[in-house]
Amino acid sequence: MNIETGRGLGAWAFLHSRKKRSNEVTRKRGSVWAWIILILGILYFFVPLFSTFEFSMRMLKGRYSFEAYRVAFGDSRFYHDFGFSLLWAAITIAVSLLLIVPTAYWVHLRLPKLRPAVEFVTLMPFVVPAVVLVFGLIKLYGSPPITLVGTPVLLIAGYVVLSLPYMFRAVDTGLRAIDVRTLTEAAQSLGAGWGTILKDVIFPNLRVAILSGVFLTFAIVMGEFTFAALLVWPAFGPYMEEIGAMRAYTPQALSVVSFLLTWGSIGLIQWVARGAPGQQAQIAGTR
Amino acid sequence: MAFLEILKVSKIFGSNTVAVKDFNLNIEKGELVSFLGPSGCGKTTTLRVVAGFETPNEGKVYLGGEDITDRPPNQRHVGMVFQAYALFPNMTVGDNIGFGLKIAKKSPTEIKQRVEEMLSLIHMSGFGNRYPYQLSGGQQQRVALARALAIRPQVLLLDEPLSALDAKIRVALRAEIRAIQQQLGITAIYVTHDQEEALSLSDRVVVMNNGYIEQVGTPFEIYNFPQTEFVAQFVGTLNAIRAEVVDPASNILRFEGQQVQAAQGLEGLHAGDRVMIAIRPERLSFAADGRKPNVLDCSIENITFLGSIVRIQVKIGNSSFSMDTFNNPFLELPKIGEQTQITCSREAVLVLSRGS
Repeated sequence: MNIETGRGLGAWAFLHSRKKRSNEVTRKRGSVWAWIILILGILYFFVPLFSTFEFSMRMLKGRYSFEAYRVAFGDSRFYHDFGFSLLWAAITIAVSLLLIVPTAYWVHLRLPKLRPAVEFVTLMPFVVPAVVLVFGLIKLYGSPPITLVGTPVLLIAGYVVLSLPYMFRAVDTGLRAIDVRTLTEAAQSLGAGWGTILKDVIFPNLRVAILSGVFLTFAIVMGEFTFAALLVWPAFGPYMEEIGAMRAYTPQALSVVSFLLTWGSIGLIQWVARGAPGQQAQIAGTR
Repeated sequence: MAFLEILKVSKIFGSNTVAVKDFNLNIEKGELVSFLGPSGCGKTTTLRVVAGFETPNEGKVYLGGEDITDRPPNQRHVGMVFQAYALFPNMTVGDNIGFGLKIAKKSPTEIKQRVEEMLSLIHMSGFGNRYPYQLSGGQQQRVALARALAIRPQVLLLDEPLSALDAKIRVALRAEIRAIQQQLGITAIYVTHDQEEALSLSDRVVVMNNGYIEQVGTPFEIYNFPQTEFVAQFVGTLNAIRAEVVDPASNILRFEGQQVQAAQGLEGLHAGDRVMIAIRPERLSFAADGRKPNVLDCSIENITFLGSIVRIQVKIGNSSFSMDTFNNPFLELPKIGEQTQITCSREAVLVLSRGS
């Protein structure tokens, strides 16, 4: 090795180590910022939640207790209205499934060109506010020939519309993940009719997607206020609002319960999705 | 009447996309017929018409003497194997195979017995409780085949079933498919764009192009006696060249200033007419003594070693020809640029199109 080459190599090693050090510093800085952003996000999300929880525990002066929760759960109207919300949620989910799963399936299978139009329709609840929607429904179905005001049909119809974007998107995503056409044709070639195909082939392979839609719909209906209040039906949303106007601690306790309900739903989706054979098979199908 | 009769079937998509036109074919019981052609030639559409997934604009499909043209797919009793396997991901291998039997309301004992039978047929006994995602591609396709066969269909339709598999498994599985088809004596239609697959598997091959049938024949006929320029070009490697008729009575033609004699008659042609002729690479050989018929002067352009064969590229005038010779360790090959002579028999000269 001559001196020139030796110098050259030394310079190269020096530059290389400097570059390496500078890369490490950049990476460390990036990592620090990521942590800062994460902590800020957690604080932004959890501090109000924790404050609500902490406030709900202060009902008895001078000490923390679950008194607000005891009061909330001791109110018979809580069970009455919560029960109604559960009923509305169950009916909404059933109607949504019967309406959306076959529609989305048929659009995927036979009318793929209509997909953008259907998607647009399902997004309407994001564009039209619930108040406008409910007044429109009251005006349209409040007088003959079709009078639905005063029946729960209008409430359920409204909830189905509200849950459309969530339910349709969940089912649509599920359908995109499986080869709907080939699976349908395979089942047909084995003698299956439409009912069997939907029941035995499509529904089971959309299990996770459908459950996502179901729990999202459940969470929406359980917390919904506008429709239930304006159509004058008992529900958890109007009850919370009413309690909030009269009491200080109990509404906070109900808020926490409401949060837990939503988280419980999400947790249930995650738990059910874990190890679903359909999900894994979709990945394997691309082998 | 043939067991499966496809009569003047045409299928047009949209207003003017002709997928299949005037498709006529009779398939006998126990026969395996391949539809061979490039992408978009209409082979899969024809298969889907037989399966009932497409309704033809014109024509009829008869199965066992019955018109099934308007019958829905689930009432045709036709088994189908898809390129993408199409196993039901939520069901085990056993449930997949038994699906059609369950729909046919067979007893659980019979279903169990048939599933075992099918698993044994595809050499996958003991795999009944696995899910499709736990199988390799080849195993999944075997299960798909068993599932289609479990219902004992009148016709088995296979839509490019091996396309998604790697070369080695493809060769093994195609032999297995043929063996099972022959063992069960089932009538089958096999769609493929792979000529080797079609030639090795089939009793007859239907070569398709642009929605039309180009030629129907045994693999031997299709390869050795192509009736159209397309078939000759599509099936196997071919040297095709335009030639001029010199003496129609003696079947003598000329190209690149050299004469060849064909065994095929040139009836209706006159001296000076232009025709397309073709010679397969394996029908050409070096002319040792120069006395054989059809001796052509050429120069060696390139030599490619392909394992069992050696492909020699020669230049005749301005045209390039391929010549294949079997490889052996003592093969004496000429040098590139060397002047030499090649020859072929009169039967090797195929006259493909006339008057072009």
